[in-house]
Amino acid sequence: MNGIIIAMLLALLIPIYEAYRDSHIWQKMLAFASIATKTSMMILVVSVLRDDWMIGVVGVLILSVGNAALMLLAHVIKRSDEAGVYEP
Amino acid sequence: MIDLWNEENLYIVAIAALLPLTAGLVIVQVNPYFALVMRGILGAVAALVYALFGAADVALTEALVGTMLSITLYAIAVRSSLIMRLGIIEPDLPPEDLLQTLRQPLRPYHLRLELVPYPDQESLQAALQDKEVHGICFSPNPEITHIPYEIQTRVPRLYQILSGHLPLETMARLNPTPEFTPTNSL
Repeated sequence: MNGIIIAMLLALLIPIYEAYRDSHIWQKMLAFASIATKTSMMILVVSVLRDDWMIGVVGVLILSVGNAALMLLAHVIKRSDEAGVYEP
Repeated sequence: MIDLWNEENLYIVAIAALLPLTAGLVIVQVNPYFALVMRGILGAVAALVYALFGAADVALTEALVGTMLSITLYAIAVRSSLIMRLGIIEPDLPPEDLLQTLRQPLRPYHLRLELVPYPDQESLQAALQDKEVHGICFSPNPEITHIPYEIQTRVPRLYQILSGHLPLETMARLNPTPEFTPTNSL
């Protein structure tokens, strides 16, 4: 169990580093999408390994809600993008 | 009670260390939009940590309210408050290079420029008086002055930001604002 989770944690560190380093808003959003999916997949893996289906249901809900938050935020940022906030 | 220092539970300690790491990343952001994205990342990591400790209800609330609702509402608040509304006259639009030059001093403050068109000079002045816009841009009578455009703002802070910008001063004249009082501060 430790090995799988530690491997997933190392994979999670890659988009966190990307989110810290990138200075473009859409690259940060990409890193956010990656992290939101990875964390909810980790919740699902932990729930299966512990055989705890209460955490499993919450993992599925967070998987869908995390992407909903991403789409809402992307829409607001896209409107600002069209108005020229992020022009070089 | 989980024994955290047991070798079996080492992964919980490793994952919980992500929480201060991502919280630190939120603090160092300067751009408000970047900070919102990092807040979303912090919410995702926090939900993971709460679920690992067995608090499924707290994790669900963090994902629904702490991440989805709060960053959406904050994004809308930031988008509608960090803005300079500039009134213009519709058939006599200012040239694109003037608008680009006007955006330059606003960019360090993450201010957005929004153009609000008006049909004539009288309604433009009335909009500035009624505080519908933060500033107006129009071309004055060419017989009086040789500068093609004139910018007037009623917000003293915007006048401070714009007045020090040299390329803008060669393209348009910036009218001084009234004295700062509590009534004209946005």
